[in-house]
Amino acid sequence: MPVKHQQRPAPKASASVEEHRKHAEEFLAKEEYKQKPEKYNGRSDEAKP
Amino acid sequence: MIYRPPFIKQGDGSRCAWQNCGCAAHAMAAMRSRLGRDPGNEHGWPPTPSAIRNQIGGGCDGTDLNENDKAVIHLYGVDMWVRYNVPWTTFRSLIISGRGAVLQIDYGIIAPTKYDASPGFYGNHAIYVNERRSSDGAYLVYDPLADHRRSSIPQGPQWWPATLLQKASYAMIGTPAGTVNASFTRDTEA
Repeated sequence: MPVKHQQRPAPKASASVEEHRKHAEEFLAKEEYKQKPEKYNGRSDEAKP
Repeated sequence: MIYRPPFIKQGDGSRCAWQNCGCAAHAMAAMRSRLGRDPGNEHGWPPTPSAIRNQIGGGCDGTDLNENDKAVIHLYGVDMWVRYNVPWTTFRSLIISGRGAVLQIDYGIIAPTKYDASPGFYGNHAIYVNERRSSDGAYLVYDPLADHRRSSIPQGPQWWPATLLQKASYAMIGTPAGTVNASFTRDTEA
């Protein structure tokens, strides 16, 4: 069984940049956010000139 | 001072221009990642939406985050962090800590606001977000449509309220509540 990691809450906006950076790096290391969800299209549409 | 890339519009007259929001947004993200420095390879510099579109190939369908990521790796040596279902507060942390991001949004949310740069367009769209302003929490958004081609259309980067950016990104169909889908540049401020 794959282990589902609990995402730690992000720091408050007013936290230090280092706290945000630590959270960002922990998040980016997690595998479960790398895969596009099956029901998500994610393609852009044609805009109006 | 966070590096601000030059604005790159999608309506440049090239093939598939009005479907090239993802390509234009990734061109600006590539500039941020490289802090404007030419990688000195055979692919040319600065990044252009048409070069990215041609690298992706195919017709003029809209592009997605993964296709653009592969293209900018090949062309400019820029590897983006593509992530799905990103909690909003984590998106905020990634921006505050020194990354830019290409964010997917529903333009129908932008259409009734002063930030609308494509009257009549209500579909899926991609924008580049460079930074967050701590005084009011607004985000500096580079909408590739904001080229001032008519007097009513905004020109270049605009500070969008966080609530608007959040609402527009939440509205992408298939996105779980409270999350967004984006690709992030490297941390240029570390």
